[in-house]
Amino acid sequence: MRNSIWFLKGLRNGKKTERFPAADPGEPPLWPSVLEGKGEAACPTNALESGEWNAGKCIACRRCVPQYLPTGNQKTYSLSQVAPRLLSRSFYLYQVDSGTCGACNAELLSILSPQYDASRLNIFLTNTPRHADALILMGVYTEGMDEVISKAYEAMPDPKLIIALGTCAISGGVIGKAPVLSSKAVVEIQGCPPSPYTILEAIVEAKGGVK
Amino acid sequence: MRYYKTTRGNGRYIGRTASFTVYSDSLDSPITVGERVTEAAPGELVFNYGPSTGGMVESARIAITTPGEIIRSIRVDPTYKMRKLKITGLALDDAFLQIERINGYHSSSYQAAFLKAAEDALLPDPNQSLDEMLVLQMELERIRSHMNVMERLCEPAGFGVPYHQAAQLREEVSRLISSIFGHRYFFGVHSASHSTVNFNTGILKQSGDIERRFSALFESLQDSKIFVNRLQNTGKIDKHWLVGPAARAAGYRYDARIDSPSLDYRKYGLTPYIEEGRDAFARFLVRGNEIYSSFAIVNSIITDGSPECAKISDMHGSGTGASRVESPQGDLFCYLSLKNDKVEKIEFCSPSTSNIIAFEQSMPGNVFTDFHFNWESFGIWISEAGVSIE
Repeated sequence: MRNSIWFLKGLRNGKKTERFPAADPGEPPLWPSVLEGKGEAACPTNALESGEWNAGKCIACRRCVPQYLPTGNQKTYSLSQVAPRLLSRSFYLYQVDSGTCGACNAELLSILSPQYDASRLNIFLTNTPRHADALILMGVYTEGMDEVISKAYEAMPDPKLIIALGTCAISGGVIGKAPVLSSKAVVEIQGCPPSPYTILEAIVEAKGGVK
Repeated sequence: MRYYKTTRGNGRYIGRTASFTVYSDSLDSPITVGERVTEAAPGELVFNYGPSTGGMVESARIAITTPGEIIRSIRVDPTYKMRKLKITGLALDDAFLQIERINGYHSSSYQAAFLKAAEDALLPDPNQSLDEMLVLQMELERIRSHMNVMERLCEPAGFGVPYHQAAQLREEVSRLISSIFGHRYFFGVHSASHSTVNFNTGILKQSGDIERRFSALFESLQDSKIFVNRLQNTGKIDKHWLVGPAARAAGYRYDARIDSPSLDYRKYGLTPYIEEGRDAFARFLVRGNEIYSSFAIVNSIITDGSPECAKISDMHGSGTGASRVESPQGDLFCYLSLKNDKVEKIEFCSPSTSNIIAFEQSMPGNVFTDFHFNWESFGIWISEAGVSIE
């Protein structure tokens, strides 16, 4: 009998999904988050130059403490374009790992966990680029994946956009250089790795908000 | 080197690095392994899965030779996403930034292997407080990693409720790690200028609550005949060179936590959990039961320990060191040579390299639908197998 009651076990567990992004993040990490401070500080990736913090280069190594401190603010993303209106009700993402350490991959998949439940916000992962509205690019440039990424992007139907997820995909971070196609990214989700809160909010904004 | 001798192989076989064949007690000269080629027989086809496809967390090309249903052979190519890390010539703290990111999901294991090798090379005695910190990190990492494997096993089974419950627990462990260490993947924990951790009063209650709900999920999955049937007799393998949960699921008492002197686990009274089934279900049972022992160690350190972060800036000089730690997927070996504070040579032997071979050898004779169950049961991470470290 115990075998057949997964449905009841699910109900007994109760609702675990948080109201984010309509409400504040429940338990945001300190690193990475928006840094605040001033002055010169050590930075191995030159994310701090002339007193300006470049989130796309930051790897959350904490060497800039105490001149710069994390605020817990998860809004470490930027958009130069949003998806056409017709995609806001159903936004399909195809992820490509160019050369990651695995952390960005894990955080992207975390948005499907009950706490975040991306599907309630009409965000889904697809297994093929042919059904994708956005290409999520993760990791540094690698020779072997360069052509694979290009072909995946070519296979996507229009309209389509590229989202660069994580410091490696944006600037190469401390490991290498960014993938070639990341120069076409209209959404940058910064962080090493960005938290599921950051990823979810950035994707919601990229598809034009919640309908 | 305190722990390793460069003599003919003594102890069990661990794996290979660029310069060595690694045994549990010694290093030997490298052995060359010929490239394996499988040609499709008449009526068979080679089905390419990946390198970029749904269902896989990372990029890897998997070539499956099959007449249609039964898999005759399978080859995994982890080199598509080959990253080239340039660590030679860097100071220890700069090298550490890249070490943390070899496999971000098991960052603590790489941090521990690297720090213990550096300690072996440069310092006269091991630092017990650092050991406690590294053990705490690694056991939390093991809990999350094993839960992740469990979640990934539920997905191809179409078990929506346990899949999401495992995902929920894994996320809660990530948040627990974040509340203690400030980062969900332990990055920057041993950074020179900000080496603090936060043990708030609610941690024990939080971990106890996660363990209780994990226990209910784990027992329910073992009661599910549908789930058990998908895993039993899938991907059977019994080889003396297996590492980690794959070895312990085949009856071997192999565990670097008890057979490597690099990290001191004696005070925790750890006894490896052993299964005899040799299949994906045995690997599932080993992982599930190891979560309990990991929780016990975590609680012991939080209650009675005095863990401290490493002081990398205090490590200076020249020397050669080696270490072997038990990452969630098996033995992780690090060889490190330092000259005038800089990395002269560094090599790793990762468990995923061994687990990929184990996966390949365990797959023939299984049917195509077993593929995902078997792949996930080894907990392979391509990032640590497909990486070049210079």
